[in-house]
Amino acid sequence: MTAALEWLARQFTITFITGNRYKLFLTGLRNTLIIAFGAVVIGTFIGAIVAMVRVHSAQSGKLKALDKLCGAYLAVFRGTPIVVQLLIMYYIVFAFIDNGISIAVLAFGINSGAYVAEIVRAGILAVDIGQTEAGRSLGLSSGRTMRLIVLPQAIKNILPALGNELIALLKDTSVAGYVTVKDLAQAGENVRTLTAEPYFSLLFVAAVYFLLVMGITKILRVVERRLAKSDRH
Amino acid sequence: MIVIEELVKKFGGNVVLDGVSERIRAGEKVAVIGPSGSGKSTLLRCLNLLERPDGGRIAFEGEDITDPKCDADAVRRRMGMVFQHFNLFNNLTVLKNITLAPARLKIMAEAEAEERARALLARIGLPEKADAYPSMLSGGQKQRVAIVRALAMNPRVMLFDEPTSALDPEMVGEVLDVIREVAEAGMTMVIVTHEMGFAREVASRVVFIDGGKIKETGTPPELFDSPRDARLREFLSKVI
Repeated sequence: MTAALEWLARQFTITFITGNRYKLFLTGLRNTLIIAFGAVVIGTFIGAIVAMVRVHSAQSGKLKALDKLCGAYLAVFRGTPIVVQLLIMYYIVFAFIDNGISIAVLAFGINSGAYVAEIVRAGILAVDIGQTEAGRSLGLSSGRTMRLIVLPQAIKNILPALGNELIALLKDTSVAGYVTVKDLAQAGENVRTLTAEPYFSLLFVAAVYFLLVMGITKILRVVERRLAKSDRH
Repeated sequence: MIVIEELVKKFGGNVVLDGVSERIRAGEKVAVIGPSGSGKSTLLRCLNLLERPDGGRIAFEGEDITDPKCDADAVRRRMGMVFQHFNLFNNLTVLKNITLAPARLKIMAEAEAEERARALLARIGLPEKADAYPSMLSGGQKQRVAIVRALAMNPRVMLFDEPTSALDPEMVGEVLDVIREVAEAGMTMVIVTHEMGFAREVASRVVFIDGGKIKETGTPPELFDSPRDARLREFLSKVI
């Protein structure tokens, strides 16, 4: 019994205390959050624009060239692995910049945008076409109809899937170490090497990711409930 | 008020309107009847350009609205439309449904639009529903609100696309009452309907469409009591 406690105490000490290693985890957590939330902002922005271009093009027959470009973007970024995209961004596209975090934010954001675009597009298409027709029949422009009537309803369809995308993205950022970023997963790996002990370092990192995902899930559930207001019967 | 010349509309290779010509004068109440798939709803939807015609012309108050340079939004502001499935904006309250377009399009000030919306709601007996969402209303209530929403724009003409077809039978009456009241106020109306009794009572003229063509037109007694077209006689024998 005491032997077990002693072992735990020693593990805890070498994992967090010795050489202020807890700071490695804190830096890792900070970087992971910066990359995930930065990427989600970029991804949502790109995704919303791409989705609206595609929906508008399909409905009106305009913007054909832009629609093709968006289609190519989706095909390329959904058709190749994120790690490869990250490496290409770091070693080829932005080879002249030595800032792994910024490049990771951009790479994950552009990648996520491709998935968000399909989520938003499906959310818009799930809103009954009658809503658009009613808006247009009153003389509202297509832009106003989209903004005032369709998008507010589409958000309810989009949000759960967007939450899943955020969760997937948060976990995907754990490969940021490939481009020298010291993210949370990398911190765990670092400490594992330093201590030559895998248990605390890796299980702790797993637990932090898990808690982050639980937190996001909870927040999304609250937001969803608020948005469901107009659906009450 | 509306002049339709040789209107053609195709969906893919399917010709839905095959050279329709018609003239609707101010104050007329035109009921459009015909079998399903005859093109009557498509004709109505061409009038406010929800469907783009493939041939022919439509003039509304002297303006060629089939001209590609014509501002469709401006045309639609002067034409109210009521849909079979109501199409109330699900994300907005009843009041906001009615005031959205007039206020946003600067037809009237927000306060004026709201005052007018409340007056219209009172007229259809739903003043207490102003802050309700559409999902809380019955089908009949939804359609009455949808009619008021279109009226709030002060349109020059009202288009009704089978306004009672999606309603439970016991709710048809309350919606027809509102449409009747709009008609009595002198509104120019085009109504696509399966309610023959209502068409006979309210319409000043009835148009029978079959196979994308107008087969016969006349006053309700002419059309219902002494139909000349063979297809019309067959149609009436089935629905009355």
